[in-house]
Amino acid sequence: MKEYAEAPRTSLSHSRPKLSLPKLHAGFPWVAPSWPTSLERTVAQKVGVDYDTAWARRYGVRLVRALLLENLTRPALRILADPAVCGMDRLEALEAPAVFAANHCSHLDAPLILTSLPARLRYRTVVSAAADYFFDRPWKAKVSAGLIGAIPTERQRVNRRSMDLAAELLGEGWNLVVFPEGGRSPDGWARDFGGVAAYLAQRCGVPVVPVHVEGTGEILGKRRPGLRRGTTKVSFGRPISAEGLTTRRLGEQVSSAVTALADEATTDWWSARLRAGAAANPAITGPEVASWRRAWALGGGARRESTDWPKR
Amino acid sequence: MKALLFEHSNTRFAAARVASMVAHGAGVGVGPLRLVEMDQPALPGSDWQLVRPALAGICGSDLATLDSRSSRYFESLVSFPFVPGHEVVGHLDDTMATRVVVEPVLGCATRKIAPPCPACASGDIGGCQRVAFGHLRPGLQTGYCVDTGGGWSGAFVAHDSQVHVVPEDLSDEAAVMVEPAACAVHAALAGGAGDGDTVVVLGAGTLGLCIVAALRRLSLPGTLVSVAKHPTQRRLAAELGADVVVEPGEVRRAVRRLTRSLAVGPAHGPGRLTGGADVVLDCVGSAGTLADSLAVVRPRGRVVLVGMPGKCNLDLAPLWQREVSLVGAYAYGREVLAPPVGSRRTFDLAFELVRDAGLGRLVSARYPLERFEEAVAHAAAAGRRDSVKVVFDLQAGARRPVRRVP
Amino acid sequence: MSSRRPGFVLEVDRSTPPTLFWHGEAFRLERLPAGSRVIYPPEPLPALADPDAAIAHALAHPVGDSAPLADLLSPGMRLTIAFDDVSTCLPPMRQPDNRQRVIEAVLELAAAAGVDDVVLVAALALHRRMTEAELRQALGNRIYDAFAPSGRLTQHDAEDPGNLIHLGATELGEEVELNKRAATSDLIVYVNINLVAMDGGHKSVATGLASYRSLRHHHNVRTMQRSRSFMDQPHSELHSSNWRMGRFIASSGVKVFQIETTLNNDTFPSQFNFLQRREWEWSARDRASYLAVSAALDRTPDRLARSIFHSIRSPHSMSGVTAGEVEAVHAQTTEHIHRAHLVPVQGQTDILTMGLPYVGPYNVNSIMNPILVMCLGLGYFFNMYRGRPLVRPGGVLIMSHPTPWAFNPVHHPSYIDFFEQVLTETTDPMEIEAKYEESFATDPWYIHLYRTSNAYHGVHPFYMWYWGAHALEHLGGVIVVGGNRRAVRRLGFKPASTLADALEMAEDIVGRDPSITHLHAPPLLLADVT
Repeated sequence: MKEYAEAPRTSLSHSRPKLSLPKLHAGFPWVAPSWPTSLERTVAQKVGVDYDTAWARRYGVRLVRALLLENLTRPALRILADPAVCGMDRLEALEAPAVFAANHCSHLDAPLILTSLPARLRYRTVVSAAADYFFDRPWKAKVSAGLIGAIPTERQRVNRRSMDLAAELLGEGWNLVVFPEGGRSPDGWARDFGGVAAYLAQRCGVPVVPVHVEGTGEILGKRRPGLRRGTTKVSFGRPISAEGLTTRRLGEQVSSAVTALADEATTDWWSARLRAGAAANPAITGPEVASWRRAWALGGGARRESTDWPKR
Repeated sequence: MKALLFEHSNTRFAAARVASMVAHGAGVGVGPLRLVEMDQPALPGSDWQLVRPALAGICGSDLATLDSRSSRYFESLVSFPFVPGHEVVGHLDDTMATRVVVEPVLGCATRKIAPPCPACASGDIGGCQRVAFGHLRPGLQTGYCVDTGGGWSGAFVAHDSQVHVVPEDLSDEAAVMVEPAACAVHAALAGGAGDGDTVVVLGAGTLGLCIVAALRRLSLPGTLVSVAKHPTQRRLAAELGADVVVEPGEVRRAVRRLTRSLAVGPAHGPGRLTGGADVVLDCVGSAGTLADSLAVVRPRGRVVLVGMPGKCNLDLAPLWQREVSLVGAYAYGREVLAPPVGSRRTFDLAFELVRDAGLGRLVSARYPLERFEEAVAHAAAAGRRDSVKVVFDLQAGARRPVRRVP
Repeated sequence: MSSRRPGFVLEVDRSTPPTLFWHGEAFRLERLPAGSRVIYPPEPLPALADPDAAIAHALAHPVGDSAPLADLLSPGMRLTIAFDDVSTCLPPMRQPDNRQRVIEAVLELAAAAGVDDVVLVAALALHRRMTEAELRQALGNRIYDAFAPSGRLTQHDAEDPGNLIHLGATELGEEVELNKRAATSDLIVYVNINLVAMDGGHKSVATGLASYRSLRHHHNVRTMQRSRSFMDQPHSELHSSNWRMGRFIASSGVKVFQIETTLNNDTFPSQFNFLQRREWEWSARDRASYLAVSAALDRTPDRLARSIFHSIRSPHSMSGVTAGEVEAVHAQTTEHIHRAHLVPVQGQTDILTMGLPYVGPYNVNSIMNPILVMCLGLGYFFNMYRGRPLVRPGGVLIMSHPTPWAFNPVHHPSYIDFFEQVLTETTDPMEIEAKYEESFATDPWYIHLYRTSNAYHGVHPFYMWYWGAHALEHLGGVIVVGGNRRAVRRLGFKPASTLADALEMAEDIVGRDPSITHLHAPPLLLADVT
């Protein structure tokens, strides 16, 4: 027997659909259009070092970023990284703007430094970030610039544009966080500091603040996938004025200041000062030996054990 | 015999009135019309004959009655319970060979009033001054009178003076159109349109179309405008002789342009024309069409009310200021035409009109009495259903199938 | 815009995103079959950096056989400044309008020369009179308030027997009847906005300030069928006739100092940026604004949507200004407009598709009624060619517009009657012209409304129909997508629900696998078809 359900379903009413939400596989214009095959793409999307981050420094965006930093990033870092901050007193006399030069172990370094900075500097600070990593795709560029105020920096070679931008921002009174190693540590030991911080400080006549970050590599390191809880320590050194120093000399001073801060973070201030006087702080770059020995050297003593979470 | 009987019942009148608010013609389902088995009416006198209807039309006035929308004015002019039906072609009972059309008006002659009133004496029975008196019970026409019966039945009685023999070559469909054609002839002539006049016919139902045909043949209008709502009506109006066929909403603009008139009133369109048509025939009879009529008729023009009106709310200021004649056109008797024709019976003119204009084609659907509810519903929605005249077929069975409007 | 890209023709492939169609007060995104062509307009020309300086320079350095304007002005002279009406700048431009800038410059010179008798006249021809708001929009408050109260800001009245003068007839017997005040002035300064190539030249005075008696010699079916196209002056019979009249006017001693301004093609404000962009270049912002605008329009009643669209003020900027002798000026203007609009296109097409916008020259602040839809599609957009029509003879035109059964009774009273009483009889331009034109043109009611209200002249709907006469003769069929069915049928066209259906229907006329071309306008373009 033929059932009524087989009758063609036609609707006589031509009422509009009530709500037209995008379908799951909605096409243009819900998603970006594809280009006609016959056309060469003339309007290249500007990414990498050419990405324009000016929008991220507009008042509204800064306000949103500050709100996120205070209400999202800071509590998250407190749970995850339990940061201890020392050396804040050394920043009291600092006249902004300044270049903050830090060692680099983890993606957490930048947000950690930002949240640790005194409020008067915190919201007028940009972070120099690798153009080829943080700005290679439009969405990454937007997240980086929007969330931490990153500006793209070419790390493979010296790029005038990125240096000009950083100098311009310093000139406008923005503080700049740079990681002179040019990337996160691949093995836990720091790498040699490049001259970026010193060059910019010299060019703009601003002081460099050495910063040491300790422990972030254990939480979110380059080698180790996943997040673990841990404790961290952020130490600010005494600002180093660029006046009367060559770029090279300034770079060396910054590098040794960070080394001393690293020593101080794991021992005590006086011992570190003593060794600094003798230029004998343990190098944060580690011994120049075979890789297994470098790893071995990291295994005990100087580095803390990671704590399991949740605790047993 | 079977007959549709219209009884006096206040509750049923009320029910029909309410139902008709939903849709015209809906009143018949709950109203006072019933299909009954009843005796043939007795002959009121020796000069009366029994007529067995073949086709009986459903008229606009019948529909108004069935929906209880007629004016209460008619209450004293009819007698209950009556059998409706006044557009009839039938056979005389004596032989069943003589085919006749009945002229339904019940004038002095049929009422045995002697001497007849002045109107009847002159042959103008439509203007009878003794209506509702005499030996018949009240009833202004066959089809509204207890004593005569009506066309929506197996048989009714007709006075000799009412009977017109139908020529052999005229079909039943054509013959049933003679009565409405007579109304149309009368109305068309009542307009008094002269040569070259602009004449507007509002409405294109049976009467509107017949009037277009009548005007085209009996007077010489310069421009004949038909206002028709539905496609078939528009086509027929043009076929029957309208020069310009417009939709109801367009009538003021169309008449303004055709008469090259100016207009006053709201800025968004011609409100009321300063000039306008010479004659307007309103075949609808609603307040709206009357207002349109008064808006498009020229000063000192003439508006003929053909459609049956009731109480209506109307601003008569333009009537006064423009000195417009507002006249009714109900029924017929004799018409006075320009010499050399002179005076003629309206029905004779109607026979000629039906034949000349082929008005038989206006009969669109036929129903047996048993399906009277369908028939009435169809008649009430005739225009929308691309039909014009819906008739009862009283001798169904041995007849040809239903013919559609071509 | 730093580097202006020329217009170009895209061949649609399967990677091409859907193409934007205008659809009255809305838009449609339609996927055209692979192999179709889409003609995109050139990007806007750069605006003049200092328009006022450019105007001053043009007035002081006229082209052709003309002295600088300042030298033509003297105390005691009669000066009439005529200007284009509401139909020339679509959508109306942001203030200050070109007309305001130019007329203010002219008036400054006139004041300096001590000219007292100055009258401004809107060169309406048979268009509707402009409202006060529209005059203020075009001329600015300074001019309006200085001239309107004393009655020195006038609008041309082609039915005012007291203010018309019959100058005579051209060698071909074309009568020339002009605005008397203008024709008897010592100097007419005509201020143009040249939106499209049709505008300007001798057409300014010979049409803008003429009467019906004069206009009927070129506004008729025969002329329009021989104007191929009327956007291409050397091949336009419409313009030939106007040029004959213009030269006749000059020879009759009427002095005209012509000032023509051009607009760059920057037509829509930034909220509607997506209208001026190629779909594959739509940014996230363009896409979002398209979606937002479409969603909002879906939920907006027609009347409101109409008034929102008509309140759009275009960011058009002046891209050129030339002054001097009419023909020399117009040659430069034409060259300029070609630079702004021309897009080379190779070969004709079987099917031409187009989306019609909410506004055309004759429904500014009004409703695009069905007759205007016909005129915009078959008159204007069809004629946006030079050389050969975009569509082949016997081809099909598909246009997308809601074509509402709606009229503005104040602006277009005769259109209603034309629609109800003429198009029901016939859609053949020749027959319409022969049978009805005269009775509409001389109808006292239309004349009254034209003169006293804001109504187009009674004969104007006929001109709209004639404007499409060449297309009607040329095309094998016209299909309207998404239009009111009854209205579209009354126009003599075929209604279709979707573009896909329309293309199927068109195949019945032009055969299987037709070539399809889409005119991606506005912003406007002029196809140079070879």
